[in-house]
Amino acid sequence: MIRKEAVEIISKTLKNQLVVAANGYISRDLFEVSDKPSNFYMIGSMGLASSIGLGLALKNPKKKIFVFDGDGNILMNLGSLVTIGSLKPKNLVHVIYDNGMHESTGGQPTNSNNVRIDLLGKIANYKVFCADSGKQLKLILKKIRNVTGPIMILIRIEKNSYVSKRINILPTSIKTRFMKAIRN
Amino acid sequence: MKESVQRKIFNYLLGKGIENFIGVPDSTLKYFVDQGLKKKRVIIATKEEEAIGIAVGMSLSKSPSLVFMQNAGFANSLSTIASLVQLYRIPMIFLISWRGYLKNDAPEHIKIGKIQSELLKSLNLKSKILNEQNWTKECLWALNKFKDNECCALIIRRDFLD
Repeated sequence: MIRKEAVEIISKTLKNQLVVAANGYISRDLFEVSDKPSNFYMIGSMGLASSIGLGLALKNPKKKIFVFDGDGNILMNLGSLVTIGSLKPKNLVHVIYDNGMHESTGGQPTNSNNVRIDLLGKIANYKVFCADSGKQLKLILKKIRNVTGPIMILIRIEKNSYVSKRINILPTSIKTRFMKAIRN
Repeated sequence: MKESVQRKIFNYLLGKGIENFIGVPDSTLKYFVDQGLKKKRVIIATKEEEAIGIAVGMSLSKSPSLVFMQNAGFANSLSTIASLVQLYRIPMIFLISWRGYLKNDAPEHIKIGKIQSELLKSLNLKSKILNEQNWTKECLWALNKFKDNECCALIIRRDFLD
């Protein structure tokens, strides 16, 4: 499964749930597949999607918050797992698209092949689910409806050469429409 | 800055509507942070950039946030302040301690302490230095910036050696 397919499978199950998408190709895939005001696209500040998601989850306990993260991104902010695992937001779904590389910068390897992110998640008090295929991912999405967070979904992604279009919305507009979406 | 003033500053900001205090502890700010811990309003992050990220999520939810840190952590956070907080225009107050303000502070603080004012200027992050006389006025200045959807910094000098 390539990342865009996985992003599409998850976004099809979302209505107005809030999504924080990490910088790089993850935000671009989400933008291309399903652009909505309830998506917060990061265009910089690598590593911080999960932290922004935590802040949102704590302040919006009645809404489900999705973080679309990458392996390179979470490895840059592993401390975030500790803070999330300590505060245990019930409504946080932390999705990690793991392709074992920094694809946006030319495919350089990350160390997610050497240290298991799912085990890091488990030890940090997450309920962890792993998917290698679209079929598995769909089953997990059904299963987590009744699971109390924090939830981690680690999705194994294949390398691919497809690149989604760039986000053409101004950062301040991304923010303004997202803030409106939170209130709805 | 003495203990009672630090505690008053915390209470003042809380009373004026700042709901979340997120950061990495620092000895110069310890009574401020302690007051927040007592009031159960503090989240301790693993590093300053993480604290800023959490505060962004809260500010997007219209819950006003302050991020506290030592100036070493401020130096760590330059890129996050520029490419997240300022780029998206997210209102937030930074409370930054100024290690290396005294020329004979510990050696690891001298360089950052020396360039701190220039770093703030280069970022175009507006700031005021708090002291025991002016703190109400300068906190009010920061709260007004916040209302105008801007981020800004309040600085507390390290005025003692230990």
